[in-house]
Amino acid sequence: MRHRRHPSPPPAVALPARATAAAYANKRSGYSPFTVPDYYSYADDLKIERPIPGKPHQGKVFAAVQAHSDDIPLYAGGLVAKLIDEGYTGYLIRISNDEAAGKTLGYGVVQNEIDNIEVGKALGCKKSFSFYYRNHRMDDCAEIEIRARLIFLFRVLQVDTLITMDPYNHYEENPDHLVAGRAAEAACWLSGAGKDYPEHYRAGLKPARVREKYYHARSPNGHNLVNRIVDIGPYIDTKVKGNVANKGKGPAGESGSRLRAELAKQGKRLPILGGDDDTANHQYVKHFLMEDWRLLGQRFGLQYAEAFRYIGPEPGYTEQIRKYVDANAVKL
Amino acid sequence: MARADVKEIVLDRDQPGQPHKGKVFAAIHAHLDDVPFYAGGLCAKLIAEGYTGYLIRTTNDEKCGGHTTAENILSNEQEHFKVGEALGFKEVFHFYYQNHELNNISTLDLRARLIFLFRFLKVDTIVTFNPWGHGEENPDHSVTGRAAEEAAWMSGMDVDYPEHKEAGIMPHPVKERYYFYARPGQAFNRVVDISSHIEKKISGIVECRSQGGGNSGSLLRAKLAAQGKRLAILGNDDRTADREYTRHFLLGDDKEAGAPYGMQYAERFYYIDQRTPELSQVDDYVTRHAIPL
Repeated sequence: MRHRRHPSPPPAVALPARATAAAYANKRSGYSPFTVPDYYSYADDLKIERPIPGKPHQGKVFAAVQAHSDDIPLYAGGLVAKLIDEGYTGYLIRISNDEAAGKTLGYGVVQNEIDNIEVGKALGCKKSFSFYYRNHRMDDCAEIEIRARLIFLFRVLQVDTLITMDPYNHYEENPDHLVAGRAAEAACWLSGAGKDYPEHYRAGLKPARVREKYYHARSPNGHNLVNRIVDIGPYIDTKVKGNVANKGKGPAGESGSRLRAELAKQGKRLPILGGDDDTANHQYVKHFLMEDWRLLGQRFGLQYAEAFRYIGPEPGYTEQIRKYVDANAVKL
Repeated sequence: MARADVKEIVLDRDQPGQPHKGKVFAAIHAHLDDVPFYAGGLCAKLIAEGYTGYLIRTTNDEKCGGHTTAENILSNEQEHFKVGEALGFKEVFHFYYQNHELNNISTLDLRARLIFLFRFLKVDTIVTFNPWGHGEENPDHSVTGRAAEEAAWMSGMDVDYPEHKEAGIMPHPVKERYYFYARPGQAFNRVVDISSHIEKKISGIVECRSQGGGNSGSLLRAKLAAQGKRLAILGNDDRTADREYTRHFLLGDDKEAGAPYGMQYAERFYYIDQRTPELSQVDDYVTRHAIPL
């Protein structure tokens, strides 16, 4: 987690004639290092996913797979809260041990372990898992083993939907993100295969049919394809709570109360931080760290939004052929 | 020969009744013919004495069988089922890693799969390659033995793969190990008398047709017949020919292993017992020395 100082960029210019923009620069507030990426490319079948009344997803299960304790709350906390509110059962799976953030490695690991559990609770997940691979070193792990563990969990939890870091994040610096995304992506279809890890079936597990995926981008550098904008307006406070629960790393946690204390020493206060530490933590995250999600929402007429590359269930090809046959078969 | 670094040799003879009733062993081998040759007698003996046995093959045996790679995979797969049945195993598992290339796979993946099975099947004892055995040319043997050895203790640790508990699969330590005597000069500290189980062992070996020479008898019989000859010991049908060929020509190591101890047939193992006594040394001391306050 680093802040970088950049020199002032040169001014933007109009594109040459006959050139069409292939990517859209995201508006940034500058308040948070981990928000929307530099650029999105929008698919021409982009959909806005709005809150759905009732429990349309009752009985469905999603797994939110993250490399680090702050990934899902920052980039997909609103979606997680929305899907759970609409009936999904959610599980949070962290791949690394987050040892790279903390006073000492040991303290960091312990705090982030707690955080992963608390983030899951704050967002409404039923349970949180941690795999504890070494932070920032996941490109030295056996990806096939991480994948195998995810296959096991997808099967035992009967996961229908995956939420994770886009495995095709361009310009990604952090190897953990790519490894976690790739392992999760591969685990989706393999968890439904009959010949992969058949010993699981011998133990009574069933194949999992992971038919929907939401891939989120990772900032600051990135260029991601987006075909789904999720309206997280009604869930912004839950997303904030998920981030406040993340004390061991990331820009949220107790930053608000620390700023409040710092100002108090100077004989000042910031009205938006309220009159107590809990309010300060919440308001700090909402006002500063959620601002770019507000700006993204604004582009689509929404209060707050998150953006995803969504992959939905494929229609059964045999079913399509059968429909064609039924419609076109003639008598001999 | 026995080695000076493994203390005295324990002679393991048949035990009456079912002293191992309720216990489970897994025989883990790389190839179709490993367990039948190195430990077919031990496996038959343990099952006869009450153990439930499971047979796990780690490779796909694609390099053996004399046919196309695909056909070899199929024939070895089908024969593996038959070997398991012949030796009395309850169930057979195959992992199908690429034959002769086990030193290029993720051994973590292999180990994790063994941990899963050891826990799920509640394995108490493993029978496999000695991962520290000298003179081993085949990487599949070394990797299989090493993964099984690591899995044996990790399967008892509740912090390794804790997600297994989600499926009700709990940690289960493996406490006893029998490592094959697979190459001349490897260490052994236990000689198992398999004389009364030799027919079972032969039944296992004769199913190894793609490799291991289990069908050598019938092949020789056919060859001799084409020359207008026959070998009396091979009998009058292929099944008898295969069994008798095995008995006469393929069990030399077992005869050699048993001879110094007056056993007709024996198998050698490096045996490790990690069972803990019901009372630890501290518990025992406390029991004997604790006095009222």
